[in-house]
Amino acid sequence: MAGNFWQSSHYQQWVLDKQDLMRERQADLKVITEDEYQKVMIFFSNFIQALGEQLKVRQQVIATATIYFKRFYARNSLKCIDPWLMAPTCIFLASKVEEFGVISNSRLITTCQTVVKNKFPHAFNGDYPYRIQNVLECEFYLLEMMDCCLILYQPYRPLTQFCNDLKPENDLLPLSWRIVNDSLRTDVPLLYPPYLIAIACLHMACVIKQKDVKQWFAELSVDMDKILEISRQILALYEMWKTYDEKKEIAGILSKIPKPKLNPSRPPSTGANNQENNSQNSSASQSTQQTTKH
Amino acid sequence: MAKYDDLKFPYCEEETKYEKLLKIGQGTFGEVFKAKDRKNRSKLVAMKKVLMENEKEGFPITALREIKILQLLKHENVVNLIEICRTKASPYNRYKSTFYLIFEFCEHDLAGLLSNINVKFKLSEIKKVMSQLLNGLYFIHSNKILHRDMKAANILITKNGVLKLADFGLARAFSLPKHGQSNRYTNRVVTLWYRPPELLLGERNYGPAIDLWGAGCIMAEMWTRSPIMQGNTEQHQLQLISQLCGSITSDVWPGVDKLDLYEKLELPKGQKRKVKERLKAYVKDTTALELLDKLLALNPSKRLDSDTALNHDFFWVSPEPEDLTPMLSRHTTSMFEYLAPPRRRGQQPPPPKPAPNNDHHFERIF
Repeated sequence: MAGNFWQSSHYQQWVLDKQDLMRERQADLKVITEDEYQKVMIFFSNFIQALGEQLKVRQQVIATATIYFKRFYARNSLKCIDPWLMAPTCIFLASKVEEFGVISNSRLITTCQTVVKNKFPHAFNGDYPYRIQNVLECEFYLLEMMDCCLILYQPYRPLTQFCNDLKPENDLLPLSWRIVNDSLRTDVPLLYPPYLIAIACLHMACVIKQKDVKQWFAELSVDMDKILEISRQILALYEMWKTYDEKKEIAGILSKIPKPKLNPSRPPSTGANNQENNSQNSSASQSTQQTTKH
Repeated sequence: MAKYDDLKFPYCEEETKYEKLLKIGQGTFGEVFKAKDRKNRSKLVAMKKVLMENEKEGFPITALREIKILQLLKHENVVNLIEICRTKASPYNRYKSTFYLIFEFCEHDLAGLLSNINVKFKLSEIKKVMSQLLNGLYFIHSNKILHRDMKAANILITKNGVLKLADFGLARAFSLPKHGQSNRYTNRVVTLWYRPPELLLGERNYGPAIDLWGAGCIMAEMWTRSPIMQGNTEQHQLQLISQLCGSITSDVWPGVDKLDLYEKLELPKGQKRKVKERLKAYVKDTTALELLDKLLALNPSKRLDSDTALNHDFFWVSPEPEDLTPMLSRHTTSMFEYLAPPRRRGQQPPPPKPAPNNDHHFERIF
């Protein structure tokens, strides 16, 4: 589906401002550092990737799910809905939106259980606790919070076009494609339009492969400051990866985040302005638990 | 504590923003209401409730499709999705909101207009309806979207005579088959009476031509005033199509014998094509008959596309397409199929799988 990016909700509502993003994160940054926050987001991107691979969905579904996940937590604290629940919910919704079909309920939950057990025992103690009714409920919050903005534009299509334009013999596509994949582990998809991300990743690939494409970039007439800013954020990720051992560290970081209730404790839209209001949370969650049992 | 005051949250607005006035539609998709904006009381909208039918599916895929496709398609001849609203989540609804799709309000649907004998379309007005319909199809098809549920009830017309394609619950994106790989879309789409022969024969690699068949059926209906081929079953529908458009053979449609159901279904042999001949009684205009004949081509690759159809003489010879406003201004009440007298409302295409019945040979087409 082609459509016009400039008229899309992606461009009009969901290219966020860095300062806004940081401000929204303040509640979480009281309990973990900025660095740790990024590690949490990377971790759950990995979880979504693992779920998607196990469910054999296309990479497109995984990429969309990852960004849905980022969008939700761009507006909500990590303790508002458990990211362990939000991750499969994003896959479930993205699979429908990207026309990959409805993932069978039992398969989704079984996959969560096996993936947690086999691939993430270092991060999760015990059995995966959520059931399909939790996912279906969570889907509502996700949709509502995103204001039903479902269509995402990914950098892959513009990237392919740019690479063709730059002459295929340069063979830059595979490398820049991988850099785009890596950009999903940063805030970049929330902050910049996909075509700029594509250009930045292509630019990085050119530098790595030592291709001289100055002329081509000069003719693009894009804001090079933004391109460099994107590159800087991706490079910072690579820098972090050099010393970061997720298996050792992640459990410690996750334990710092207050554990959300088993059921989503309250509709995020009604509580987003008073996230510290715990008394409201607990009373709401009790009634939710009672009614979802059937 | 963080200050959120100056941030714009994109959450859906609450449904109480609108005041429901009247139910104007009911279908498998849910209920549709006419409503007005409480703040701006002259602004009318249509609210379509998202039915949570299938617990296992979560938020219905049809509603997701309609939302994402209509957010993408903004065009004068495509219904305008204003926003999505929700009911407030509370303990009473398990914190699960009901969602509503909010559309700009259109006063009539084409099925409602055609079922009212007081509404008379002049040739020039029929041309206006058809040119807008084809314009809408041209736009959605060039955005790689198939409507897949063309029928008179899904064609809305405002009091200002602007036509809007509506109900994108069955719509989907399509791609042209490449690298010799054919698409495999479901063929269980389109209301039976408007379903083209390729879908009835099990084709899964179809394209925009399926919507043009529907456009042909609707165009004929502008004169006949009721759907032209009202089959009871897929088999029966194919019989009616053969009786009107001639036998379905590989002579007129090379490759049709390769379709899944070609051998399995009984196709009438030796039928002559009588599109013009049979519609002549209703349609007096010869260029109109020519266009109809080309829209109702059995072979989808021979069927006109919307662009070519818009270039057809029908739209360019006198009388020219004429604005519908003056005619519609004589009718001050809304006409929707749902609100029409039962004579019309009872006329619903049956569900796709009734018991087989082979006594259809004497049935009239119109």
